[in-house]
Amino acid sequence: MAMKRRNRTILRKTFSSLWVGGLGLLFAYPFAWMAVSSFKENSQIFLPLKFWPEFWDLSFFQQLLSSEWFSFGKVLLNSLLISLGQSVGAVLFTSLAGFAFAKHSFRGRGLLFAACLCLIVLPRQMIAVPLFQWVHTLGLYDSIWGVMLPGMTSGLGVLYFTQVFKLIPNAYLEAARIEGAGEWRTYRLVLPMLGSSLLSYGLIHFILAWNEHLVPMLILNSPDHQTLPLALSSLYGSSLRFPFAVLMAGSFLAMIPTSLFFLISYKRFKNSLSNVMMS
Amino acid sequence: MKFLRRHAVYGLLAPFFLFFAFFWVAPLLEGLRMSFFSNELFGEASFVGGENYRDILKDSRYYKALRNTAVYTLSSLVLILPVAMILAHGLKSVFGKLRPAFQFLLLLPGLTPPAVLALLFLLVFHGRQGLLNQWFVLPFGWKYVNWLKDPDFILFALVLQCVWRWVGFISFFLLSGMEAIPKMYYEALQVESARSWHRFRWVTFPFLRHVILFCIVYLIVDAFALFSGAYVLLGGSGGTADAGLLMVSYTYQTAFTFGNFGTAAAMSVLMAPFLLFLLWACFWGYKRLSRESPAKE
Repeated sequence: MAMKRRNRTILRKTFSSLWVGGLGLLFAYPFAWMAVSSFKENSQIFLPLKFWPEFWDLSFFQQLLSSEWFSFGKVLLNSLLISLGQSVGAVLFTSLAGFAFAKHSFRGRGLLFAACLCLIVLPRQMIAVPLFQWVHTLGLYDSIWGVMLPGMTSGLGVLYFTQVFKLIPNAYLEAARIEGAGEWRTYRLVLPMLGSSLLSYGLIHFILAWNEHLVPMLILNSPDHQTLPLALSSLYGSSLRFPFAVLMAGSFLAMIPTSLFFLISYKRFKNSLSNVMMS
Repeated sequence: MKFLRRHAVYGLLAPFFLFFAFFWVAPLLEGLRMSFFSNELFGEASFVGGENYRDILKDSRYYKALRNTAVYTLSSLVLILPVAMILAHGLKSVFGKLRPAFQFLLLLPGLTPPAVLALLFLLVFHGRQGLLNQWFVLPFGWKYVNWLKDPDFILFALVLQCVWRWVGFISFFLLSGMEAIPKMYYEALQVESARSWHRFRWVTFPFLRHVILFCIVYLIVDAFALFSGAYVLLGGSGGTADAGLLMVSYTYQTAFTFGNFGTAAAMSVLMAPFLLFLLWACFWGYKRLSRESPAKE
């Protein structure tokens, strides 16, 4: 009986592994193809069923890194600065607000929280045109600050951190307060307990910021101030004669930071999500 | 000092709400102001009252964009959620050692900039040589589909791209939620009935309700905000016969191709009540569902 049951579990696991793995490979095939295609001539690239290149041509990576098509180093640095700045700012501001919403009652609490929920449903792309005008008025046009500063607000973050702070026992906060710690000190004392949550939200915000297209496209004008996805898509739009392999190489490099960040924090990210969802 | 202590909460909230007011409420108000002015940028515009709104309501392309966005949002929602739910169950019963690897493969599209994703879609899935035609269309003896030029398929191609992008992420969220459900609830149920549908209906689903609500809201907002994918694939226009014209791309086109900033601002402003209504509908449905469901509370 027990034997039979074990066999059935193994059978089920094998079956699931096969179809889930198959779907995973289908989803990821274009990315593997992209990585390999960064070594291919144009004539081979347009045959997506042919996977391996006829010979491995490294010149396309060289062209990319030596900024033959756009100043790769500068653009990469812009992307990193914008995304990191946005996620650090967003984590700091939204965790402070989440702490206030979770552990304090004050006048206007419901109204302010509702405002944060509205922020979730009204995406930044929607107000892109007025935002463009507004950033212009502030004199931040064509500056990475013009993208970074508006990106530091996040309704999602407030919602997430409100849940996270609710999980912290009140007794812990009381202890801090009895010892005479103010709100800021209490917040700082609690922070080390939240490592995973801070990292998880930082990761999400980083991914969203890294991938953003419309707002940076409107605000960043000169080629040296662009972000990596922007530079890549304008390269694609320029002409059909440039080597696609350069585009593939650039796209491949554009995926590395988010993937790496995700792989490093996978375990923490998952546990933290599970914890928040329990509440 | 006592005053400071009592109002320290507002100090915690201040940084966030300062940014909120300055980079979000202010542009929204700016949009509202722009929407009542003529189409020039920067100071030269003159007050025109409700003319921009009247223009929009007479504009058949606006309705087309609205319809396309609604179809796109609804079909990506209807496709993604069930597939992601099945996938999350599949991932749960996969060999434990393989799970992180599979999850990463499925998440890759979500980690990629949508501009790159659109490009890959174009190169790998599109065209006579593309995988979609080679694997899923030609083997069945159908004529090959020109996914991005044929007005019957443009929107479908965008939906496919959306599914590809988000299914992995949504199933990741659902799986994280499922792993947080205490085992005892399933065990309690097993005594009475072991049918997997019952396990889903009476334990998994009630527990995941709020996760599902979150996913729905997220997907709706993301679908409404779709720009990058459509921009790269269709070059900032609506594609053949405007079959791929969406709200954000149309607003973009109105402002930056045609130079009608006032009209574009009015479009932005008009989108807000629409989205707020959708959000309200989601919460309303959620509340009703919660009342029916006996589990948890």
